[in-house]
Amino acid sequence: MSGTLLSVRDLTLTVQGEGGPRTLIDNVAFDLREGEILGLVGESGSGKSLLCRSLVRLLPSLLIRMESGAIHLQGRDLATISDAEMLKVRGGEIGMIFQNPTSHLDPVMRIGDQIAEGIRYHQRLGAGPARAAAVEILAQVGFPDPKRQYDSYPHEFSGGMRQRAMIGVALSCDPKILIADEPTTALDVTIQAQILTLLMDIRDKRGLSIILITHDLGIVAQTCDRIAVMRAGRLLEQGPKRQILSNPKDPYTINLISSHPSMPEGTAAAMFVPAEAPVAGLPRVKPLLEIDDLHVRFRTGGSLFKGGAKTISAVAGVSLQVMPGETVGIVGESGSGKSTLARAILGLNEISSGHVSFDGVDLAQQRGAGLAKLRREAAMVFQDPYNALNPRLTIGQTLAEVLKVQGKCPPSAIRARVEELLDLVGLEREFATRKPRSMSGGQCQRAGIARALAVDPKLIIADECVAALDVTIQAQIIALFRQLTETMNLTLLFIAHDLAIVRNLCERVIVMYRGEIVEQGRSEEIFARPQHAYTAALIAAIPDIDPDRPLLSRPAPRCDLLPMPVLPAETMP
Amino acid sequence: MSVETISPAPIVRRRLLPRRLTLVVGAGILLVFLVLALTAPLVAPYDPIYQNAEVRLQPPSLAHLFGTDNFGRDILSRVIWGARIDLQIAVIGVLFPFLIGTTVGTVAGFFGGVVDAAFMRLVDIILAFPFLVLMLSIIAILGPGLGSFYIAMALVGWVSYARLIRAQMLVLKSSDYAVAAVSLGFSRTRIMFRHLLPNAIAGSIVFSMSDATLVLLSGAAVSYLGLGVQPPLAEWGVMVAEGQSFITTGWWIAVFPGLSIVTLAFGFSLLGDALGELLGVHE
Repeated sequence: MSGTLLSVRDLTLTVQGEGGPRTLIDNVAFDLREGEILGLVGESGSGKSLLCRSLVRLLPSLLIRMESGAIHLQGRDLATISDAEMLKVRGGEIGMIFQNPTSHLDPVMRIGDQIAEGIRYHQRLGAGPARAAAVEILAQVGFPDPKRQYDSYPHEFSGGMRQRAMIGVALSCDPKILIADEPTTALDVTIQAQILTLLMDIRDKRGLSIILITHDLGIVAQTCDRIAVMRAGRLLEQGPKRQILSNPKDPYTINLISSHPSMPEGTAAAMFVPAEAPVAGLPRVKPLLEIDDLHVRFRTGGSLFKGGAKTISAVAGVSLQVMPGETVGIVGESGSGKSTLARAILGLNEISSGHVSFDGVDLAQQRGAGLAKLRREAAMVFQDPYNALNPRLTIGQTLAEVLKVQGKCPPSAIRARVEELLDLVGLEREFATRKPRSMSGGQCQRAGIARALAVDPKLIIADECVAALDVTIQAQIIALFRQLTETMNLTLLFIAHDLAIVRNLCERVIVMYRGEIVEQGRSEEIFARPQHAYTAALIAAIPDIDPDRPLLSRPAPRCDLLPMPVLPAETMP
Repeated sequence: MSVETISPAPIVRRRLLPRRLTLVVGAGILLVFLVLALTAPLVAPYDPIYQNAEVRLQPPSLAHLFGTDNFGRDILSRVIWGARIDLQIAVIGVLFPFLIGTTVGTVAGFFGGVVDAAFMRLVDIILAFPFLVLMLSIIAILGPGLGSFYIAMALVGWVSYARLIRAQMLVLKSSDYAVAAVSLGFSRTRIMFRHLLPNAIAGSIVFSMSDATLVLLSGAAVSYLGLGVQPPLAEWGVMVAEGQSFITTGWWIAVFPGLSIVTLAFGFSLLGDALGELLGVHE
């Protein structure tokens, strides 16, 4: 923790666009000390990745130029060295890891060879010693059986192991600086926690400096020493972690911190359970949605001649009741069957066995009637806001079509109803004439919600609908959902992998693991006293924005954080 | 590189001509030919099939700008009248394959399964034969003439469109907005033709422009072989064929209709490029 290793001054990048040059990175200056982890935070499009790539001259387009600036790395200015020298810096002194390990590892090259390649190039070692060094690195990044796994290909590993392998590749040349660009965004929380712990371990062991690019302040709070906040190409604020988190100066930073779902304020969701809310388990209220021993299986593999098809159980015996007006969160890692469950409920997937009944109509027995009812009374909100809207139609056309096809309102009233829907989701009325391409992710997601509302639904299923959005936008969409469920007596089934968000929004939580429900109950109960080991692990893996609650090492049940809510005297369903 | 994270830098392609110029030049060329074709009786200085033995094999001069052929017919007038037939070939020869192929591709891609398998095997069978051989055999069966050419084109040409559209449909039908449309209770026909097809079709429209060039050339080739347009009707392919035997003594007989084919093809391909940009095929 001594001297300054990397020092960037007045870095300005511009792109030569059609309307003259545009500034992408505006006069950025920062220092990186030895053995330090610097967190670079900002929304997508803020220029944080571009900034880091420009350090090693890996610019995504020929039209981007470095206008001014100096990048001092141990007495050399990386901005002025030749391209040949830069080759030695890349990998040798500054290593990089990326968000998606699958696309950054060579799929037809053995994992070990990919690590050994860098060692042979940068350290000029022979094949034998390079292999030994690579095995050593594999062990360091947490491969349990490095000698054997040296010869495995990337597709044989899970996402987390691939990310470890990529860290191994970056470490192979013994760099002084590691740039980690959203290294855990594509991973599940529990895996994310492991990778972050690994990064901190490596820093401690090797005295490496790390620049960690992320959009998640929780991650920064957990791992970094200092924080730099970027927005629109400018470095708004930088300083020691605790200072920034507890005493942010810039309004944007303040907003960013208050948007973080792990803020204790979020638990207020648990408090507003209204007294008249239908209480699960009481006989007089009929459940809106009843799922009984639902199985969804897919056939996979096999061929026409050989057979050998396997059956994968995506949903294995799920039973569930959702009362009208309830907000239920379904959490679980990728592959746990939450999306399949959602689609099965809406009749978009075939049901292998079991029953789904919506408002008293059984989907398995009366498929036609059940589907007709579902289509008119249930709607879905999707993960990728751009992919969920037809790019050729304006928002007005999209909404009007739903109204027209469903015959929910007379043709003369469609225009007024479209405007009403836009008002409901907080979009200006002029959006009726815009196409998704000219809108931001958050605006598209609002339009997607408006389309769901156009059905006048009793039930909305939101499938990871904020996962693709920036934190501040996430907070806005969550607030919108909260407001809609409160005012419109909607039943909301909210699917997410992010437990913090679910805790914020939902009264009841269902935890899924490998196609089964392992735990369900009131949010505050589950988060305070998880019964199942998997739930406990999930909760413990959420990176908290409070740096004093370290990742994984804190005790799983965190009763201290949650205010004890006044609970209705009833047992969990 | 992960694209999501480098969003601030729009990757701008360097292009040969600005988009607007491509569109204007391409559309302009087509427009000139269209006007010539429509006003042929007015603008053509001579009767295209009138044979004047006194002016046989005249090189280009003020009286005959493009010269005359071995029958003393004015090449310029024949090129202008030929535009009528060649434009017709390009349009009809593309339109029917486009319509058939788009419908087949949409249905095959959307429904999948047996329907898809059946249509795609048919496509494979058609593709197994060399294009011209198949064309010529169909025309030979139906008898020479433009009508047979159009039928043969429709029977053979649709396969490329079907494959293009089908591939797009396969991708689009699992997109979220398709799933959303299903979950909103839209009918299959509506999803197929209102939601998916408009998003799938851009590539085919662009391809149809370069296909027009190919059709034009195969029309010329078929006429050259004596199976398409029959003499003395003026058609550029036929004219090139007729001029072939005089290429050393009367180069202008084959060169001017040949240049017309090239120019019209150039116009189509420029327009195709411009349309591709406009419809966002490259995005």
